[in-house]
Amino acid sequence: MNGAQHILDAFHRHHIGTVFGYPGGCIMPLYDALVDDVGVEHVLCRHEQACALAADGYARASGKLGVCIATSGPGATNLITGVANAHRDSIPMLVITGQVASGMIGTDAFQETDVLGMTLGIVKHSYLVDDAVQLPEIMEEAMALAQSGRPGPVWIDIPKDILLTEVESPTRTQSPAHQSQTPDLSEALAMLRDAKRPLLYSGGGVSLANAEDSFRAFASASALPGVVTLKGIGNAGKHNPNDLGMLGMHGSRAANRAVDECDLLFIVGARLDDRATGKLDGFAPNARTIHIDADASEINKLRATDVALRGDLNGILGAFTRELDAQPLAIDDWRAQCQTWRTTGGFQAADNEEPLAPITGPAFIRQLSRITPDNAVIACDVGQHQMWVAQHYHFDHPRHHLTSGGLGAMGYGLPAAIGAQFANRKSTVINVTGDGSFMMNAQELATIRRYNLPLKLIILDNQCLGMVRQQQELFYNNRESHINLDDNPDFVAMARAFDIPSLHIERTDQIRRGIETILAYDGPMLLHVAISREENVWPIVKPGASNKEMIDEPKRTTTAKKEQVA
Amino acid sequence: MNPTNENAAPSYTLNCRMAQEAAAIERLCQVVRIRGFRIASMAVEAAGDHFEIALTLEGSRPVAMLQSQLEKLHTVAEVAVKQPAAKLARHSA
Repeated sequence: MNGAQHILDAFHRHHIGTVFGYPGGCIMPLYDALVDDVGVEHVLCRHEQACALAADGYARASGKLGVCIATSGPGATNLITGVANAHRDSIPMLVITGQVASGMIGTDAFQETDVLGMTLGIVKHSYLVDDAVQLPEIMEEAMALAQSGRPGPVWIDIPKDILLTEVESPTRTQSPAHQSQTPDLSEALAMLRDAKRPLLYSGGGVSLANAEDSFRAFASASALPGVVTLKGIGNAGKHNPNDLGMLGMHGSRAANRAVDECDLLFIVGARLDDRATGKLDGFAPNARTIHIDADASEINKLRATDVALRGDLNGILGAFTRELDAQPLAIDDWRAQCQTWRTTGGFQAADNEEPLAPITGPAFIRQLSRITPDNAVIACDVGQHQMWVAQHYHFDHPRHHLTSGGLGAMGYGLPAAIGAQFANRKSTVINVTGDGSFMMNAQELATIRRYNLPLKLIILDNQCLGMVRQQQELFYNNRESHINLDDNPDFVAMARAFDIPSLHIERTDQIRRGIETILAYDGPMLLHVAISREENVWPIVKPGASNKEMIDEPKRTTTAKKEQVA
Repeated sequence: MNPTNENAAPSYTLNCRMAQEAAAIERLCQVVRIRGFRIASMAVEAAGDHFEIALTLEGSRPVAMLQSQLEKLHTVAEVAVKQPAAKLARHSA
């Protein structure tokens, strides 16, 4: 086998059946090998960035390794946003790029870039293969590394001559499975029992560790009031009465109030991100902390913890659950207090009873949440619609909510939805996007059409970059700068140009029928939803401020606004 | 560096052993920089299939945070940190 065939051989042995890629000069030997390979489905996206983001969506929705492939130079550089996105959100991903032939490296050859050098900060690890004999071993190591511990993207850059070199198959030995030992819980358990107002604070680490079941068992046994990060949404399921929802900049008043009042934070798979904590000095000021994480570098990174428990979340949460099943926590008063806050300080959005009234983002998302099946996967983009989904859609599982958390990459949603649909061929997959985000990877409508994916696309169109406009309104004296998108294309006609049927709605009485129509359609369909330009996401914490300083809707200024042109 | 400047960032000596492979040193330096430290001096010696690296670093962030980030690198085998004696003496004067 040559190097390219060894790559496909590794895919087969690791049951990798779907990869996302785009061919080009230096990666051609691998594409040539794909011609004779029927075991790997190669999904041709229309831009390399979308290949990486689709691989990300595939990995998040399935829990499996996402794989993307591109050629050297521009192929590799186009991958970078998607790989950075996977790195920031700890998504297991294998990235394979062709490189100019070994002897040409460093000569400024056609389509040569220093991929290894330019990607050091956005990968868990990376390789430049300089000896074909090493390629099979590197493939094994890279796939294991991407999925072990705290997952992340691993990039293999392979010169074209290495892909063509014949290499003997190495003798494989089975590595002994690593047994993770559960750390001593006694100190943490004593703190938990001693606390009067303990609060569970969970993040994306729960699903990254495939610890959803262990987490729910723990949440049930402890009956702790809980808050979640953006990536932790769904951890507790949609029917947990102790779930106070998302905390942080656009979190619920109930969640932020509980954090402020608690005397113990029980942190599971969360990294105290600034969007969640606000100003650190004011975050959970009266709380001691127990921090459980797979990654030692996250513990004490931003706040000194009282008890650190590093290791496998399943083992640690399972051990806590056994202790709490035997002797439950006595925190009824605190639970009752949190229930009161949940009732009065949850995300509020009145359903507009006036049928001809314009559609609001929150009202639309609440209807969507009611109508879609529990196992629907929602892939968001970035901006106001992303926060409305986080606030108003009720997720039953964290793998049903795909969102660009750490990087906040506009353009994520559509390719991520494509990846999720390949991971769940029969599930309902919906991309909820904004007019700004949609245009960042709109070329992927062609991918949807090519594979006839039954994806549903929903554009909440406010004809501007809404989140930027909102912050300019609130924090920059209402000086709007380069956020106007009122020259958007006709999205309905645009979808039809890709042979994707589409529908436009703009009134409250059209919401239900619009959603039901696209869900019932046997194939891809786009729903274009016109919403008000002036609508904001509430509540909001000013960047850098304490979560205690949440802002509800202020009085709007009535002076005419002009777009400032530099 | 002015030794009497009380506001000067603390200085540390960091020793690191990591596998010799493409971009190993760049990878190390990238982490040092992005985590908020400046390299005042650096010595690298190849030893078998490893590099032995000695760094003098300056930075105001907790050095333990840098150490844990370096230990995460796949090719890093060992990281040891200590404050140089001169700096300790200056602080205790």
